[in-house]
Amino acid sequence: MLANVFTKTTRDWWKGMTIAVVTLGLLFLMGMSVYKDIDLSIYTSLPEAFMSLFGIPPDADVGSLAYGAIYTGYGALTLATVVLVLGAASIAGEERKGTLGLLLGNPKSRTSVLAAKSGAMVLLTGLGALALWAFGRATPALLDVDVSGIYVEALVFAMFLNALFYGFLALAIGAWTGSRGLASGASAGVMILSFVAVGLLPLVDSLSGLVKAFPWYYFSASEPHLDGIDWGHIAVLFTGIVVFGALAVFGVNRRDLKSQNVGVTLTDRLRANPTTRRVAELMAGTARVSRIWTKTLSEYQGLLFVVAISMFLVMGAMIGPMYNFIDEALISMQGSFPEELLALFGGGDMSTPEGFYQIETFGLMAPIAVITATVIIGGRALAAEEANRTMGLLLANPIKRSTVVLEKTITMVLAALVVGFSTFAGVVAGSWIGGLGMSVGNIAATSFLVTVLGLLFGGLALAIGAATGRVSAAIYGAVAVAFVFFLINGLVPFSNSLAGWAKVSPFYYYLTSDPLINGMHWGHAAVLTVLTIALVAISVPLFNRRDLRQSG
Amino acid sequence: MTDEITILTEALTKHYGDVKALVDLDLEVRAGEVFGFLGPNGAGKTTMIRTILDEIRPTSGTASILGMDSHDQSVDIRDHIGYVPGDLSMYPSLTGRDTLTYFSNLRGGVDWDYVDELADRLDADLSKKVGDLSSGNRQKVGLIQAFMNEPDVLIMDEPSSGLDPLIQREFQTMVREVAAAGRTVFLSSHTLSEVQRVADRVGIIRHGYLIALEAVSSLRSKAIRRVELSFADPVDQAAFAGIPGVREVEAGDHHIILSFDGEMETLLRVATERDTLVDITTQEADLEEIFLTYYRDEETLA
Repeated sequence: MLANVFTKTTRDWWKGMTIAVVTLGLLFLMGMSVYKDIDLSIYTSLPEAFMSLFGIPPDADVGSLAYGAIYTGYGALTLATVVLVLGAASIAGEERKGTLGLLLGNPKSRTSVLAAKSGAMVLLTGLGALALWAFGRATPALLDVDVSGIYVEALVFAMFLNALFYGFLALAIGAWTGSRGLASGASAGVMILSFVAVGLLPLVDSLSGLVKAFPWYYFSASEPHLDGIDWGHIAVLFTGIVVFGALAVFGVNRRDLKSQNVGVTLTDRLRANPTTRRVAELMAGTARVSRIWTKTLSEYQGLLFVVAISMFLVMGAMIGPMYNFIDEALISMQGSFPEELLALFGGGDMSTPEGFYQIETFGLMAPIAVITATVIIGGRALAAEEANRTMGLLLANPIKRSTVVLEKTITMVLAALVVGFSTFAGVVAGSWIGGLGMSVGNIAATSFLVTVLGLLFGGLALAIGAATGRVSAAIYGAVAVAFVFFLINGLVPFSNSLAGWAKVSPFYYYLTSDPLINGMHWGHAAVLTVLTIALVAISVPLFNRRDLRQSG
Repeated sequence: MTDEITILTEALTKHYGDVKALVDLDLEVRAGEVFGFLGPNGAGKTTMIRTILDEIRPTSGTASILGMDSHDQSVDIRDHIGYVPGDLSMYPSLTGRDTLTYFSNLRGGVDWDYVDELADRLDADLSKKVGDLSSGNRQKVGLIQAFMNEPDVLIMDEPSSGLDPLIQREFQTMVREVAAAGRTVFLSSHTLSEVQRVADRVGIIRHGYLIALEAVSSLRSKAIRRVELSFADPVDQAAFAGIPGVREVEAGDHHIILSFDGEMETLLRVATERDTLVDITTQEADLEEIFLTYYRDEETLA
């Protein structure tokens, strides 16, 4: 049985891991060939603090750049994300599906099921890391790039432990609470927050000591690809894994298993309380189920709340005052930044408030936030109702399938607007608090562009979901496409021969016009809007022509 | 029952790749009729229902409900139907009442007094979240959802699954009332007794083929029963072997077990004529046994 849980879990998840690792491998190939193509002398003029932020060594060469940007940055984030999703699904996911009780109907303890699940997670992460190692070794050989100074094994090993750190964190939260959403959301939050903190805090002298409180530091700060393994840092990650593992064992054994995935939400409590019932009924009761889009929106209130608040506070309002604390030295060295390099990080000049916001907020985090919301809502719009077997009931009502598509699209658009607006409001507030005097109109334009950019990928997820009825295909497919386009837009401008290809990426139409400085680029906004509408429009016939799936 | 045809399928066929889930189904169901669609699990009942509701599209053939094409006019059709899917699944985080409000809004409103009456009759708790309900109580919400807009055609896939016997009886009464009002009920089931209690006519489906279409009364006469008779004194089994409809006789000292599909009256007369009958239990033979007994030919044809 133990072996069965282990093999079944491995079998259920190998596809996701394979897709992630192969995508990364291809990106590494692409990245390294682009880096090989460009004049590396531009790096000599970079300020050290900036380079350390993105894992670029002072004596940058092709190898260290490729490993630094693609493996240490996106690679480690991607691997950790896949593993933490897996960790969250391990106990909490089975509980939510109602299969955990069935599993435990067999003569095996909760601890042994947990052990089998953890074992599968470690194995898959190990296989993923092994594949990344193989790509990392094969690519330079293929391209004839000298990587003799790079510790590929040390880097991949650190990535492996780093990913498991977040995987076990999610496993532990899931084991304690039985809530898959909380497990993946909280551990992803810890991961992203610490990734951002590790990049940002060292820029501010007085805060740089705080960085050690963030787990990502123990992966990236020692720069394993340049300096080999830092056993002290590795020990910290390993200790974390062991502690989370132990917490998971304790957590899953101490509580009642949930029978279904019905938690008590805040609105439920408000509804139960006689004094607040009237207001809560308005919000949660009759209004919530008045239309398809309102009901769908209510399902994502938690996600939207967290994403909107994080964007407003952390990525918006806090960045402004932070700008004033940044090393003067860093700012004075800004004059010589090569445009091409900055493009990869959202193309901002750190010596101006606009550039700083572009790098810190709009370059990476704002697209991630909006795309997270739109892709989850768009991808689940049709496919989740099919997987949960509620679509048949919904379509037994006198409504067209296209109505369902459009109503769900309304939800997606509103969600994107919520995230976009909270980003806008946060940046305006940050600019005001920090006294940066940025143009409100330009902030609005940039926020609008990122909103439409997110909707485009949400539309893609909707279309994939409409065509396949599969949630995972829709969400992971759209995320993978977004990821590839993001890197295409960031990497190809390095290469003279390929630079024109940046225009195939939707990200090109987001920041290339420097909307924070130049204001709205209506042409680019139109490109994104038209593509989004086209994707939504094509979802209708894709959904119309198909048999509904009977089960998940 | 009237002559008005409410559900009509003509050579309706659905293949999933190589699997023939439904083959050349010709069926007519009339207004005021309760039609039972009977077949073992995996026979094609759900496929048929999902096809006429436009959830899935026929490989060939056509279906219509109330004279409207099942695909081209599916939205208009759905204005007139109530539907309970098999293996019912709803939104776990909504309460029963929220769920009904949601679907009522999609239909442009329902009579809430009627909803409360239905909830009362089925003893359904609409204040709890659907995810917190047991499957039987969840089924009640699904049934109310189908009945609440007083549809012209009720289509229900294994509707009484999970309901306890008392509620099942109430549900069957509700079904009869719908038919008595001149509306149509189409329900699928894999238990003969349920269909017998509620339906006027029965279609039997197996491996995708409709193998029999009968009035319930004639099906009932075909129903093989396992009858166990207990007597005060030892009995002679030979007296029973001769009764028409007795297929197998197993005799003990004081009791006789028969496989029987004849007239119950004849059997009882023989049993009480000479001996003292102490107890009698009868048990319905399962569907499979009926298939094997009566429809072997049709099956080989299929």
